[in-house]
Parts: sequence; structure tokens; C-alpha cells
Amino acid sequence: MFKEEILKEIEQLNKGYEASVKEVLKKFSIEEKEMTTLSGLPLKPIYTPLDIKDNNYVEDISSPGSYPFTRGVTPTGYRTKEWTIRQVVGLGTAEETNERLKYLFKQGQTGFSVCGMGYQPYESGDERSFGILGKGGVWIDTLADIETLFDGIDMSEISINQIGFSIPVFAMILAEAERQGIDFKNLSGTIQNCVFPFGEGPQMRGNGSVDISEYCTKNLPRWNHTSISVRNIRDEGISAPQEIAFGVYMGGFTLQSVIARNIDVDEVAPRISFFLSSENDFLEEVAKFRAMRRLWARTVKERFNARDPRSWLMRFHTQTTAINLTAQQPLNNVIRSTIHALAAVLGGAQSMSVNSFDEALAIPTRASATLSLRTQQIIGHESGVANVIDPLGGSYCIESLTNQLEQKALETLKELEDMEPRKAYKYIVDQGKESGYLRQKAIDNNERAMVGVNRFVVREGEGGIDLGNTDILGYDPVWRDKQIERLDRVKKKRDPGKAEKAKKLLEDAYRNRINIIGPMVEAVKAYLSIGEIVEIREKVYGPADLSHVWGCYFGM
Amino acid sequence: MELNKKIRVLLVSDSPGHATGYYVVGKGLREAGIEVILGGFQIPPQIVKSAVQEDVDFIGYRIMDGAPEILVPRLVELLKERSIRDIQIIVGGIIPPPIVPTLKGIGIEGIFTPGTKISDIVDYVRSHFDAGTSG
Repeated sequence: MFKEEILKEIEQLNKGYEASVKEVLKKFSIEEKEMTTLSGLPLKPIYTPLDIKDNNYVEDISSPGSYPFTRGVTPTGYRTKEWTIRQVVGLGTAEETNERLKYLFKQGQTGFSVCGMGYQPYESGDERSFGILGKGGVWIDTLADIETLFDGIDMSEISINQIGFSIPVFAMILAEAERQGIDFKNLSGTIQNCVFPFGEGPQMRGNGSVDISEYCTKNLPRWNHTSISVRNIRDEGISAPQEIAFGVYMGGFTLQSVIARNIDVDEVAPRISFFLSSENDFLEEVAKFRAMRRLWARTVKERFNARDPRSWLMRFHTQTTAINLTAQQPLNNVIRSTIHALAAVLGGAQSMSVNSFDEALAIPTRASATLSLRTQQIIGHESGVANVIDPLGGSYCIESLTNQLEQKALETLKELEDMEPRKAYKYIVDQGKESGYLRQKAIDNNERAMVGVNRFVVREGEGGIDLGNTDILGYDPVWRDKQIERLDRVKKKRDPGKAEKAKKLLEDAYRNRINIIGPMVEAVKAYLSIGEIVEIREKVYGPADLSHVWGCYFGM
Repeated sequence: MELNKKIRVLLVSDSPGHATGYYVVGKGLREAGIEVILGGFQIPPQIVKSAVQEDVDFIGYRIMDGAPEILVPRLVELLKERSIRDIQIIVGGIIPPPIVPTLKGIGIEGIFTPGTKISDIVDYVRSHFDAGTSG
């Protein structure tokens, strides 16, 4: 990017700089420390044009909205479209979550993102839901609950994100859209889907995740049928280059699995998106988002031969890291999440959820959830950072880190691609477990700073920042009783003939290994419960192995 | 009575998924020479059964998605029903501060929330392990 003679001049300049640094260090007898990023990449004290001399601006960086999209997926960034503010919600029954959603929409939230839906393969009355139902997300039994969840919410106005990839829940969302009179062609939203290697034959028949992508490609052109989540595994402790590599690998595997069903790459790829974390190391994170955009674009264009530029775009939602929030001095988490969120904005996120400061203690209260929303709004409306596209682009440091991260991720990606898919997925899971432990050890022995935990610790009664008068949201055991009663009512009210017929149709669909989404929509419209649907599937397939989907009933 | 009996801990969780803390604690205890049985997601009646079967000294109960004020008393009650007195319960995870006194009130002393050092849990287990009455 620079002329030879200028680089020579800079080299001279750098020599002078290094000598002056040595002088200062010597004067104060300070030892020069080797530093790294959080992920262990070497980090220099300063960066100069020499660090990015091999970059070609046109080929490696380019304009926002141009290949390889290092600077962003659109030419205009946040100038024409703010990121979607999509705080995660999910508490109690559909009623409580609907109330919280409506409140947040009124406060300026622009996206719908609900957790807990269809995670468990049993009905609310099962003893396994005791003391749990409604705490780690909203509980859904039947379509009636989804109707309650969307009560007063116009699905054509709000962009919907389904956390997890429960197929019955996805079918319920489609059934509810149909009830609201929305044409599937206009329905927009996202499902956190990702293909794992199982199913019959090269077309992976019986793999519900492939079914979702195939169905959406054919029927829901505006639905992001795949949102590869690497956020949770990053939050176990893996590194930034691993987050990039694992995401690109899983995205590529999903793409290839759908293509195997005779669908063109350019029909599938434009609706693949990603769900990423935003971690502590601010500079590294900004570079991470840029590096991943570039690597995904190059992978889809060069390896998958996609021709439609929309196929090359790495669009992403981010949820700020939670593992770095502390139960000690919890108000400090407000500051942490703000920094995480800022990195995501400077990295060009399309959509974001900011964690609440009380999440290491309980489910966020209405007040703490509002504060998360305001964090996003203050960054967007007051700080000015959203007015310039990729404002840190061109920084010698950020460009150099972007190069390093892409390079390192590419190495890991190649290793994964040399493995058999099942092995590669296992490797990803194992890395999560292993790195979580190493991360904790680094905190325990004070190598990794955590304010309030291994730095600036305040013992109880010594003052400092505590929660003050902030409330903590408690668990209401009534949620479970209410939900059991509701399911009972739905079952009594539904048409038994229709329910029986739907059960039979669903069983046949499972047996014949046809795409399950269509029959599932019919099944949920007959008000079959998720528990009943799982029983039907198990009749055909036997008990499912849920170890690859975090024990949740996803993609089945 | 074996004086050098290894301490045995059954680790269980209240829900599947988001198991970072669970694995970290499991590995940390193992590295400290404590035997760890990874039980995964179990509900209180299953936990009691596994704890007895595995002849453990401690149950390490990770709670993140559930309500500790409901699940932990239920576990305590089930152990009492079966007159099991030599298995101690340790709780870890998302424990809202107002719940801590409730748990202490039913005899749970080992409560570990985010920000805990692994060595604190190891020390707790060692100092509360009674080689004379256990095993």
C-alpha cells in the first residue's frame, strides 16, 4: 500500500523510535514486556505502515459493501440502517414474556429474540420442569402459547429471532404468521440453525436442520434459515481465531449439506448469518469481526464458487460476553457490557443484545433490561461512532490484527476441514471444555485480570460498589402451575379427530424421511404439544442423542 | 475405615447446556486429586439415586436455569427422607443474593457463585470431608 522509498524512511524512523523506547525503559529500569492479545496473538507497542505493507487496499480491505467486505457488508453502514436492538427475553410463561417484550418495544427495542422456546422435549407437567419452568427462558407447550407470545405484536413490523432451533417452535411461528395473514414470501426473521453431521445418505435425510434450510430456501425467501452460533462456545473460553474458524467451518458444513439437496449455492448462502460474541479485548474484537467478514467472503466465493455477491456477506448478531460478568460488584458489569457493545458496533454488527449487569446473579429485572437497551441507544444516538463506517479501518494496529486473526483462523479452518465432520465437531466441543478450564486457571493465578475478583477486591462490609437498592427478580412457582393448567385446557379444547390425524401424518413424515417442516406446521396447527411431537419422533427414531445440541431438542 | 480414602464428588446440573462452570469445576477438582463423577443434568430424585449408587461424599449441584430456593430444599428433603446423613451438598452457579440465607438456613454452607476460585472449592471440599464418617 506504500511506496518503497517511504517504507525505507519509516524503517529508519522506527529504529529511532525503538532506541528512544529503550532509553526510557533503561532510565526507569523497567523490563520490556512481551504482550499478547487475549487470544495469545503477539501484540506490539506500536504499529506502523510497515505492519500492513503487504496489504492491497483494493483486494484485502476495499470499500464498505465491496468484496471482501472487510469494512462492512453494506456501502452505507449505520448511516442508513441502525443495527437491530434485540435484547434476549424469556421468562415465565408466554404471558410474562409477551408483557416484557411489549414493554421493551415501547422503550425502543426493534427486534424480537426469545429464549427457552422448545428447548426441553417434554410437557410442562413433567417432573423435570419442577423448579425450572420459566426461569431459564419462556416455556412453550403448544401453538396456543405462541399465539399468546405474539399477542399484540405485528409479525410484519418486527424482525423475529428464534433462539435455538426447535422445529416444533419454528412451525408454530410459521402457523402464527399464517394466522396473522402474512404471506411467507414477506415474512422476515432468523432461526439459530446449524447443521450437525447426522442423517441418512448424502442428502442427510432426517436431519431437521437441513430440512429447515431447504424449506426456507424454497418457501421463505426473507428468512435467515441458518444463524451459526459460535457465541456460546466463545463464551466457554476459546480464542478469537477459533471463534472465526469454528464459525466459518460450521457455516461451510451447513452450506454444503443444503447444496447436497440439489439447491444452488446462491440460493442458500445469502440467508446464512452468524451469532458471535463480543469479548473483553476491545482491539482484538473489532479486528475479529472484520477478519471473519473477509474470511467468510473468500471462503464462499473461492471454495463454494458462489457468484451472487449477497452470498459472500457475513452478517452477524452479537450478544456481549457473559462469562466476563462478575457476581462481585455487579454494577461494574454495566461498564464491561458497554465496552463489549462498542466493539461490536465498531466491528459492524447487524444486530445486538447487551447483557444485563445482574445476570451473574439472577434473571434480569425490567430495570436492568432497560439499562441494556439504553446502553445500545446511547452508543447509537450519542457517541457518534455510528456516523462513520468502519472508523477504525486503516488503523495500522487494527488492520494488522485483522490480518493476523484471519491467518490464524485459516490455519485452524484447514485443520478442521482435514478431519471427518463428526471428528471436527467433537474437536470444537472439546476445545470449549478445555479452554474454559485454562481461562479459569489464568484468573485464579492472577494472570488474567478480573476487576473485583483478582484485582481491586472488596470484602463484604468494606464498602465499594454493591447492588445498592437494585431489585433481584425472583422465581415464581405459579408459572409452572399456570402452564400445566393452560396445556390441559388446550388439550380439552382441541379437535381430537384433527389431533389424531395430525399425529398419524407426522409419524408418516418421519418414517418416510421427507422434509419435516411442512408436516410439522400441520401438526402444531392441530395443537399437538411439543412433548407429544417428541414422542412421535421417538417412536420412529428411538431416543435422540442430544449431546451435540447442548442437551436441547434442536434440529429434530 | 480407610484414612486415605479418596474424596468422591458427584457433579450434577439443573439443566443441560451452558456447562462451562460445570466442566471447569469438574476438571479443577480432579486435578486436585478428588474423584469426580460427572452426572450431567439430573433432577433431585435422580441425584439422590446417583449419589447413593456412586457412594459419594459430596453432591456438587450446579444451578443456572432453575430456582435454587426450590431445587436445593427438595434435594435436602429427599436425602432426609432416606436418612442419608453422610452426603454433603455444595451449590454453585447463579444464586441470587436474597436466596443465600434461605440455603444457609437449611444447612448448605458451600455456596459458590461466579468469580469463585477453583482452589476455594477444593479447600472447602477438603476441609469439610470427614474421613471418619464418610465412605
